[in-house]
Amino acid sequence: MLRSTLAQQGTPVYSVAWGPDSEKVLYTSGKQLIIKPLQPNAKVLQWKAHDGVILKLDWNSVNDLILSAGEDCKYKVWDSYGRLLYSSQPHDYPITSVAWAPDGELFAVGSFHTLRLCDKTGWSYALEKPNTGSIFNIAWSIDGTQIAGACGNGHVIFAHVVEQRWEWKNFEITLTKRRTMEVRNVINDAVDLLEFRDRVIKASLNYGHLVVSTSLQCYVFSTKNWNTPLIFDLREGTVSLILQAERHFLLIDGGGIYLYSYEGRLISSPKFPGMRTDVLNAQTVSLSNDTLAIKDKADEKVIYLFEALSGKPLGDGKPLIHKTEITEIALDQKGITNERKIVFIDKNRDLYITSVKRFGKEQKIIKIGTMAHTLAWNDTSNILCGLQDTRFTVWYYPNTVYVDKDLLPKTLYEKDASEYSKNPQIVRFVGNQVTIRRADGSLIHLNISPYPAILHEYVSSSKWEDAVRLCRFVKDQTMWACLAAMAVANKDMTTAEIAYASIGDIDKVQYINSIKELPSKESRMAHILLFSGNIQDAEMLLLQAGLIYQAIQVNISLYNWDRALELAVKHKTHVDTVLGYRQKFLEDFGKKETNKRFLQYAEGLEVDWDKIKAKIEMEIAKERERAAATPAVRASVTVQR
Amino acid sequence: MAKGILGDASLHFDELNKLRILDPEVAQQTIELKEECKAFVDKIAEFQKIVGSLIELVDQLAKAAENEKMKAIGARNLLKSIAKQREAQQQQLQALITEKKMQLERYRVEYETLCKIEADQNEFIDQFIFQK
Repeated sequence: MLRSTLAQQGTPVYSVAWGPDSEKVLYTSGKQLIIKPLQPNAKVLQWKAHDGVILKLDWNSVNDLILSAGEDCKYKVWDSYGRLLYSSQPHDYPITSVAWAPDGELFAVGSFHTLRLCDKTGWSYALEKPNTGSIFNIAWSIDGTQIAGACGNGHVIFAHVVEQRWEWKNFEITLTKRRTMEVRNVINDAVDLLEFRDRVIKASLNYGHLVVSTSLQCYVFSTKNWNTPLIFDLREGTVSLILQAERHFLLIDGGGIYLYSYEGRLISSPKFPGMRTDVLNAQTVSLSNDTLAIKDKADEKVIYLFEALSGKPLGDGKPLIHKTEITEIALDQKGITNERKIVFIDKNRDLYITSVKRFGKEQKIIKIGTMAHTLAWNDTSNILCGLQDTRFTVWYYPNTVYVDKDLLPKTLYEKDASEYSKNPQIVRFVGNQVTIRRADGSLIHLNISPYPAILHEYVSSSKWEDAVRLCRFVKDQTMWACLAAMAVANKDMTTAEIAYASIGDIDKVQYINSIKELPSKESRMAHILLFSGNIQDAEMLLLQAGLIYQAIQVNISLYNWDRALELAVKHKTHVDTVLGYRQKFLEDFGKKETNKRFLQYAEGLEVDWDKIKAKIEMEIAKERERAAATPAVRASVTVQR
Repeated sequence: MAKGILGDASLHFDELNKLRILDPEVAQQTIELKEECKAFVDKIAEFQKIVGSLIELVDQLAKAAENEKMKAIGARNLLKSIAKQREAQQQQLQALITEKKMQLERYRVEYETLCKIEADQNEFIDQFIFQK
């Protein structure tokens, strides 16, 4: 039954496609492409896409990209805002068909005597010249491994996608036939052939394991032994995504998300309301040893976080919500669960980092980069790399932003990446080698310094002396800056002092020295927190330890007068101290008191500096006594977790 | 006399004295004529046969000539189209070559970066050994 006529025009509509959210349709009008929302009043997006009549288009629901092909003998890739991402060279004949693979990683292009397989960024993997006449339509099988084409000479052409390649360290795997893989060990040129009962649908090689899904089963190989895979049956045939972490891997099919151990045991199967598994890809799902993050498709500002082992939502169960739409997410892979970090790129191409664990209060989401196209975490240490505009950046220790934000620029490695042309993608970051795919499809390998990874290793096993020795050996400011941040994060102030001295941050060295001289453990801890800028935490710690004066003093030093007075009044102590310092401050700056609360309290009180000083000294003495009374406090300032 | 009477009645005797209606001389001539006619008919038949086979032969020749003519036309057409076919084939091969060239270029870029990594690593090793 005809419901309504969406659009009417004078030229024929050759092709039409649904938008990913089923709220828009895309259709052709001569040389123009038109995106028409179903709501009657919404704005119609229309642009000139080709120099000839557009014959065919397709819109992928996973990556939200648009394909168009026309009589100008070109095919083009657009994003959903109508920005051109790729335009092919002109062919000899008009392009008569284009079609996305269901997972949005590949697309097929058909023309006269021509069948082409392309990457989603537009470059071409393979070209065939079959005797078919023009290929008028192409359909992908649901698992994305086969295509069927309707040919102008009355034939139907079938094709299979083969020769996919996976590389990891010294292994190179090629799918030679539909059911055969060839494993090549580059070091000794040993070749193994892996045969499967059914055709291979998806595979992933990482962390020393190869996971292969066929139409019925899942095979798990260890790179140490290619002869005896672990095999288990799949619940539903078509796996759309395999993601690996060091200890387990994730299978996503049409029915759900399943986490398996490498022994083939089902660990968990996380769920969230409104989950659609068919639109998930490697940019919207991220897995680490203990955490799973999934970007919501319905509301793109939301990231759902799960405990990997139980499949339950993390912490209080609330998802992470950002202020704008998120395009890509990634979890770090190493370190302890409590320090798990997630980085993400939003629609404005800003790069943010935040902690996955949130202890009640809202965790800060900190921006660490702009114009970021792509990013990747290292597999063996928490080093992040990304491409920002035309620069390739490595964040050797992204956690620095939580410790000493000023230090962050010093912990970076930057390199000009303009030679990689437009829109390169980071494929992987294994060991100290980064692999980037340029827009023309060529792979570029980059080496980064191996030292930061070693430093990470030393620090994670608390070998501070070794770490310092390493930095002295390397003689690199970046390394020292990383070490400084790591030391503060782990509250090893001796190392921090050495590191800060080496990068010439004298003010910080002095502060650390002053922390060392503090009488009690609590106030030392509090000042370390203050050092990292966690004022609230520091104050809370002091108040919990009953060091009211110190808490007030912290606020006074930060010119946080209201809070200082509030504390003083609340605990009925040192009101005169606060008022005294306030007066002094006002006198120094030649100002008058305007704050009503201060005026109110100042009325009834006489500021007597001798009395105040005596009181302060008493407090310090008291704290010292307390510290002496509790033998647990160590003589050294080094406090390790 | 009798002869004359018989002759008037168109009756005759031959040498064997048998009664004949026809004059033996005429009869003799008739027979001769008959024989000659027969010979003539035979000759004509033979002639016809020869002519028939000739016609057949000529027909065959005509057919063969026609065949050859068609073949020649076909070959000529083929020759004409082969140029076009070659052109198309060349075009296809050219497209495949371009594709392979692009792949080669990709490999070349990858190889270059790998060489650079090798150089970097060698330099690193040298430096490392030197520093130790």
